[in-house]
Amino acid sequence: MHIPDSFIPLGQAVIYWVIALPFIIMSMRWARKELDEMKVPILAALAAGIFAIQAMNIPIGMGTSGHMVGAALVAIVFGSPWAGVLVLTLVLLVQGFAFGDGGITTMGANILNMGVVSGFVGYYTYAALRKSVGTSIAAFGGAWLGLFISAMVCAVQMWLAGTFPLVPGLMAMGTYHLIIGFIGEGLITAVVITAIAKSRPDLLEDSFTVKSDTSKKEVHA
Amino acid sequence: MSGNSNLKFFYAGIAIALLLSVLAPFLASPDPDGLESAAGGVIEESKMSQLEEMEPAVSSPMPDYSIEGMGKSGEVMAIAIGTIAVLAISFGFGKVFNRKA
Repeated sequence: MHIPDSFIPLGQAVIYWVIALPFIIMSMRWARKELDEMKVPILAALAAGIFAIQAMNIPIGMGTSGHMVGAALVAIVFGSPWAGVLVLTLVLLVQGFAFGDGGITTMGANILNMGVVSGFVGYYTYAALRKSVGTSIAAFGGAWLGLFISAMVCAVQMWLAGTFPLVPGLMAMGTYHLIIGFIGEGLITAVVITAIAKSRPDLLEDSFTVKSDTSKKEVHA
Repeated sequence: MSGNSNLKFFYAGIAIALLLSVLAPFLASPDPDGLESAAGGVIEESKMSQLEEMEPAVSSPMPDYSIEGMGKSGEVMAIAIGTIAVLAISFGFGKVFNRKA
């Protein structure tokens, strides 16, 4: 879902950068407040893993492929959507500048879609579902919905840019990303979160009970 | 909890990331992704070829996760370089930002 430079006119691309900047700054504030010597290695390992898994495109049929985004996974592990925004910002910076994956002018839009929208929707869906359906299914549902909604936002941006027609764009983006979200985002997130819940329950419990409360207050404030 | 088990998580994460870097050039689907596929379906052909011809705003050293003239091994290298770069940048970022003032 990495938008190339040519898909959004410069004027609009700048606006998405301006909207993305406060989120990037907030994610750095989160890092300053919540990261400590213990958590830095986990953040770095997750960021590297997400960069690598984004290179692994999974075929979904219809001559199309897709890959995991990972913002929801990071947000769930750290108990804050800001962690997802931070990691996706770092990953998108390297992808854009070193590999031409996603434009530089459109990086603001890509950070908004993949970092902010999929991270926030993914995390809060997970948080809402967790008590009733359990960690694994909540992680699956959150990650799936997060990716789907971010694809819908992307389709609207493509329409505003004059690149896609509205309804066919929403239909095509929606169809592909429902499938990509199921396999590439939902299943992988659920497997990783379940593995972490089994091997390092302290990681999830800590971040959930302590951090989610403070991050929620921040969001509503 | 303990720094030791967080380091285990760190090494396991790096091992998985590097394994993915090596496998991706061989296993990843070459099909266009959801956005590209949608573009191919909903944009008129003449406009699509126009968009495809446009150069990116900034040219990148390893476009499409490849190194010129190096084929598959170049792709493995490119993705591994990216993985290590992301690792180093996030580690450095974390180190700078966790120094509580």
